[in-house]
Amino acid sequence: MSFLLHLITVTCILLPTIVGYNLVFGKGKIFHFGQIGLQILAAYPLWISIVLFDQYPIMGLLLGLISAFVAAWLLAWLSFRLDPDGLGVMSIAVHLSALNVVLNWQSVTRGALGVPGIPRWSFLADNVSFAIFVIVAVSVWCVFVWLLDRSAFGRKLQALSEHDWYAEALGISRKNVHIVAFLVAAGGALLTGVLLPQYLYLLSPTDFAFPAMIFVVMCVVAGKPGSMGGAILATALLMMLKEGLRLLPLSPGVVGPVRLLLFGLILLGAVWYRRDALFPPQREI
Amino acid sequence: MGFLSIREVSLAIQGHMILDHVSFDVNQGEVVGLIGPNGSGKTTLFNLLSGFLAPTGGSIHFRGSDITNCSPSVRAQKGIGRVFQNFGIFRDMTLEENILVALEALPHEQKKLLGDMKFLVHRTLAMVGLEKSAKKKAGALSGGQMRLLEIARTLKCGKDLFLLDEPTAGVSPKMTGQVSGLIAELKREGKTVLIIEHDLPFIGRICDRVIVLDVGKVVLEGTPDEVKQSKELQEIYFGADPTT
Ligand SMILES: Nc1ncnc2c1ncn2[C@@H]1O[C@H](COP(=O)(O)OP(=O)(O)OP(=O)(O)O)[C@@H](O)[C@H]1O
Ligand SMILES: [Mg+2]
Repeated sequence: MSFLLHLITVTCILLPTIVGYNLVFGKGKIFHFGQIGLQILAAYPLWISIVLFDQYPIMGLLLGLISAFVAAWLLAWLSFRLDPDGLGVMSIAVHLSALNVVLNWQSVTRGALGVPGIPRWSFLADNVSFAIFVIVAVSVWCVFVWLLDRSAFGRKLQALSEHDWYAEALGISRKNVHIVAFLVAAGGALLTGVLLPQYLYLLSPTDFAFPAMIFVVMCVVAGKPGSMGGAILATALLMMLKEGLRLLPLSPGVVGPVRLLLFGLILLGAVWYRRDALFPPQREI
Repeated sequence: MGFLSIREVSLAIQGHMILDHVSFDVNQGEVVGLIGPNGSGKTTLFNLLSGFLAPTGGSIHFRGSDITNCSPSVRAQKGIGRVFQNFGIFRDMTLEENILVALEALPHEQKKLLGDMKFLVHRTLAMVGLEKSAKKKAGALSGGQMRLLEIARTLKCGKDLFLLDEPTAGVSPKMTGQVSGLIAELKREGKTVLIIEHDLPFIGRICDRVIVLDVGKVVLEGTPDEVKQSKELQEIYFGADPTT
């Protein structure tokens, strides 16, 4: 029972960031891997200012929001100036730089140890009420993104991903649409960055390392890039697999490598299977 | 200054002159044909007009304002519509969405005047006889149907200048008649049209004036009859006539 509750909670906590990333990478076909970088730049300012610098939660939230939006804007700016391969590499660089700052600026971030003692509101102290809170908050977020996806904005994003020239010739501004998509992704990163450390009572850099990015990519790719329902389903299944491995009677030294191997194979299979939906078609005019 | 005015426009890519000091005007309500052999720079000129390429020299004015440095979407919002050589239709979207997304991309003031969008989408599809396929993916259409849909969409979006890149290419002979009927409709509605075409009789039927491009230069300009009878055109298209 407690395992099931844990599974539901961690799955829901990841959904905002995954659904946001699906909008940019899956639907918009903007080839970047900076989502977890966004999450670092949302979660660290937020929690550090609250826990280590005794700011009001609202101040921390505001700081996290500003930082996430600035980071999203930076990624969007890069996406307008680089070709897809360049953006892919650069976004990984942004993520790893943010991670490196977090790991090495120990006086502020406590480095690899992370920040313990992340508080929860008193009414969320037990895991059942926390799970309910997470489910409600994440549902609201997902409905918002779903409505956005079905609106004029969603159609413009899809048109741009199918053929940016055709879309722009209709008067669709690639810049405006893509900036909004990145901002929504940053909002998702912030929500996940608010919920995950609260659940664990710990802000840990390992939750923001590169394997986390691979997991996010895998959920979007396996669920069919651009499909929100697919991404949610894939997240639930992959999370079940990831957390379920712990229940197997394997020594901790074996679980790690087995999980890496398994997820590597799944990613490979998913990318192969979805290769047509993943990359935009060749442009002809 | 004309409705569309192109002044000394040049484009060099890696030292290669693709367009060389091209100048001409198009007046409001005029249908102008742009012809020339393969690789003479016709599509490239359209890309400069719709803003996908920046000229290395010269300027482009539309309705009296300088648009040389405007982005493609801004030019589209100003009223320049483009019909692409390879069908500018989103194949993974339904026919309905293809039209809806174009209407939604219009500037706010223009959108307010449209009225009910659903109705307008239906009317646009009905115009080209595709209302029954509204919910189908556009990728399933034939080339001719895509072309008709694209032209009808551009028309219903209230564009004033139409850049048509080989509208009859990839269209079955049976549907060519329909496409030229739709272009005639544009003319009746007083739209300004610049049209690239290889089919000379077609150009002769619908154009008021013809401009001939060869290796990036304007080499000839006149009425369809004048151009057809000129020796230069024969030389450009078929090489020098050996009997003279
Ligand atoms: N981005 C580019 N880089 C290099 N060369 C280019 C580029 N775009 C076009 N060209 C060259 O410019 C010339 C003109 O091409 P363009 O497509 O405009 O010809 P066109 O008149 O439309 O021909 P067609 O009748 O075959 O459509 C060609 O020689 C082409 O190779
Ligand atoms: Mg061409």
